[in-house]
Amino acid sequence: MYKSLLLLTALLLNLSAWAQRDTTITITTSGGLQFDQKRLVVKPNTRLHLVFLNKDDMAHNLVVTRPNARLRVVEFALALGDKGPAMHHVPAMDDVLAHTVSVEPGAADSLTVRVADGAYPFVCTYPGHGAVMYGVVYATNEPEKLPDPKTDRNLPNLDRVAEVGMHQHAKASGHPYPLTLPAVCRTFMADCGPAAIAVGLPGADGGQSYVFDAGSCRLRYAWSGGFVDNTEQWDGKGQRFTTVVGDIYYRDTDGFPWRVGSQTPVVQFKGYRLIDRYPEFRYLVNGVEIRELVRARAGGRGLVRTFTISPTRQPLTFNATAQPGIQYKPSAGRLQNNQVRLPAGTRQFSLTLSTL
Amino acid sequence: MLLTLLASLCFWAAPTDTISDYYTIETIPTPAGLTVETGGLTFLPDGRLAACFHRGEVMLYNPKTKTWKLFAEGLHDPLGILAVSNRELLVMQRPELTRLTDTNGDGVADTYETVADQFGMSGNYHEFAFGPVRDSKGNLYISLNTASNGAGIRDELRGQYDSLGRPGRMYACVPYRGWVMQITPNGKVKPYASGFRSPNGLGIDAQGRLLVTDNQGDWLGTSKLYNVEEGKFYGHPTSLVWRPGFPDIDPLTLSPQTLDSMRTVESIAFPHEIMAHSPTQMVVDNSGGKFGPFAGQTFVGEMDFPHLLRVLPDMVDGQMQGACVPFFAKGGSNGTPLRIGNNRLAFSPDGSLWLGQTDHGWLGDRGLQRIRYTGGTPLDILAMTLTPTGFDLTFTQPVDEATARQLANYQVRSYYYEYHRAYGSPQKDVQTVPVTAVQLSPDRRTVSLTLSQLRPKRIYELHLAKLTAGSKQLMNSVICYTLNRLRTPAVGRAN
Repeated sequence: MYKSLLLLTALLLNLSAWAQRDTTITITTSGGLQFDQKRLVVKPNTRLHLVFLNKDDMAHNLVVTRPNARLRVVEFALALGDKGPAMHHVPAMDDVLAHTVSVEPGAADSLTVRVADGAYPFVCTYPGHGAVMYGVVYATNEPEKLPDPKTDRNLPNLDRVAEVGMHQHAKASGHPYPLTLPAVCRTFMADCGPAAIAVGLPGADGGQSYVFDAGSCRLRYAWSGGFVDNTEQWDGKGQRFTTVVGDIYYRDTDGFPWRVGSQTPVVQFKGYRLIDRYPEFRYLVNGVEIRELVRARAGGRGLVRTFTISPTRQPLTFNATAQPGIQYKPSAGRLQNNQVRLPAGTRQFSLTLSTL
Repeated sequence: MLLTLLASLCFWAAPTDTISDYYTIETIPTPAGLTVETGGLTFLPDGRLAACFHRGEVMLYNPKTKTWKLFAEGLHDPLGILAVSNRELLVMQRPELTRLTDTNGDGVADTYETVADQFGMSGNYHEFAFGPVRDSKGNLYISLNTASNGAGIRDELRGQYDSLGRPGRMYACVPYRGWVMQITPNGKVKPYASGFRSPNGLGIDAQGRLLVTDNQGDWLGTSKLYNVEEGKFYGHPTSLVWRPGFPDIDPLTLSPQTLDSMRTVESIAFPHEIMAHSPTQMVVDNSGGKFGPFAGQTFVGEMDFPHLLRVLPDMVDGQMQGACVPFFAKGGSNGTPLRIGNNRLAFSPDGSLWLGQTDHGWLGDRGLQRIRYTGGTPLDILAMTLTPTGFDLTFTQPVDEATARQLANYQVRSYYYEYHRAYGSPQKDVQTVPVTAVQLSPDRRTVSLTLSQLRPKRIYELHLAKLTAGSKQLMNSVICYTLNRLRTPAVGRAN
């Protein structure tokens, strides 16, 4: 009786341990032909259920291979040639432990595989994908002994990881020339229309920078302490923003600032020219051409916006709504009721913006 | 006797030449620190190369001195470039077509002038902008990618938003996404043609036709080449929202049959897996024979395969259809291999073909290579034309009669791709089509095949095994003809 009870207890314990080893993990895609998760750590003898969700623009599959077999499986998959599509690009071989079907964009599939102790690669075996689109399942009781992800040779794109790492340390420009201010960078920026132009200005402590919106032809915000970081924008398909390096001290709240006579402004961007590397923007508003050049204010945070205006018979108005912590100083006219009125024929105007 | 046997053995040895016996690949060194994701290539009148790259650089390369110089920087994902003069370039970047001019002659651009930005931007990453190419009248053409539902749109857009264009795997919720635009010599910007999905390549062929490639996906069963004409709709529905006079509805609510009746089909299809995954830019061999036997022909790049494509147009009832065949497939082991990711192509004044590679976000490679013709004539297909009963194949040189006359050396499959909302299409109604007769022209350069059946709106995939010309083997044994229209016998012509 006691012996029978002991056996029953042992069986129950075993079942319990067994049940704890069923694991479901969802993997999806990320930019640059990558799986979003590249390293999975589970206990040995886990029954692993992998759900593959394809958020990419092209079809992929997911194949789990025996340890050290990824390249061989990839090569055999490539050798399928014309037969590949019908076989979901999965070769029939013992090195393939489990696989999904071909997963079209937006679709999903799953597989179940039991992994004993070891490193099990998973890979997309579509032609040409397997060299970059892969990861690894580590089945181990000693996760602390796994290699550092940055040096793990079972993970893809070590060069890019190194590139990012180097960037973080050396502030490399990412170009075949060093960053030289003034600098211009057209890109996607937050809180700006999609046609954003980031401009970095030289100065102390990283200088100052601003964003000009070429779609609405206006300065959007300014910051000090640096320029921009393109790491996220460049790594991937281009959806992520270029980010500000520094502290934003000014945000425009006026919309397009100019009025010609009493007309509602209709603007058109015409590009820019470089004057000693400073961009001078050119835009039309109701047929009047305005050129705008922005420099850093000497002696502290702030900008000097200089406008050159083509001849016009109508008076001009520049809107500059008061903001806490910001002071405006026009070169002509007076700031009254949050605007500066300029007489017809005005050709030059500047506005100095500074922090108090 | 021994000599006779030896000669016999030599005669029957299989030809082993490859394309690498006639062309060589050279990888071009690029500046340290440059991420060589190529968006555009063009040659200046003085022979220098101008190239633009994903991170916004425009650089000039002097092939004689092998030196690089920065011409412009800070552009947003430039994907096309066209030389106007030695000091003036047109560059297509995400937000606009820009004219870069070096006004003071120091070799660096001083003005970045907006030429065309009259199109919408939602900020979705898939809204690439391609081009420009210029026709003989001086019109410029650009193309605008649709957005992808793999990501959203920004809080702020440029241009009008239309929610009717928002649904779909690929969508056009801001103006002229999925369109080809024309910019006239006096700077007027016109919507020109609609219905594109990812029109990564534009080109003007030797006959002055505007050609645009598009990539397999929703509504494209396979990748295609279009002969683009003004006012036409090429099949991807979402851009119809921006067509003047289009009713105020979501185009995706129309049935595929209705949309099919509205569209102009492709001139040449690139069967998926066989020819291409992602075709890129077209370029015409304008080298006058310095690039081998293909003068005047159109080459197309491809992202996923280490080969290019050559297209062989055929005019039937005044409409372009025709064939495509790989180029530089199965190169030999001589020297440097051709890489994948061939996004941009340009012929150099010396007749070599320069390739700009990219992999940004997708499959591909990085760098610049060039293909140089080294001499000799590869045995390849120069033309494939439809006859009332089959096809005529013209080769670069006379073929051996023994192999050319064997019916078994010609295998034909025929199928079509479905026009539907789903991503891509399997080959439908695949059939084997017997070749019933072969005729060889007196000069042995043209083989006339009679097929048991020809049907319109299908692709004919022809496999030619074992054709030889003395010691030369056929460089590419598969060619695909897109048969939109049958050619009817001319009235009164003797059969």
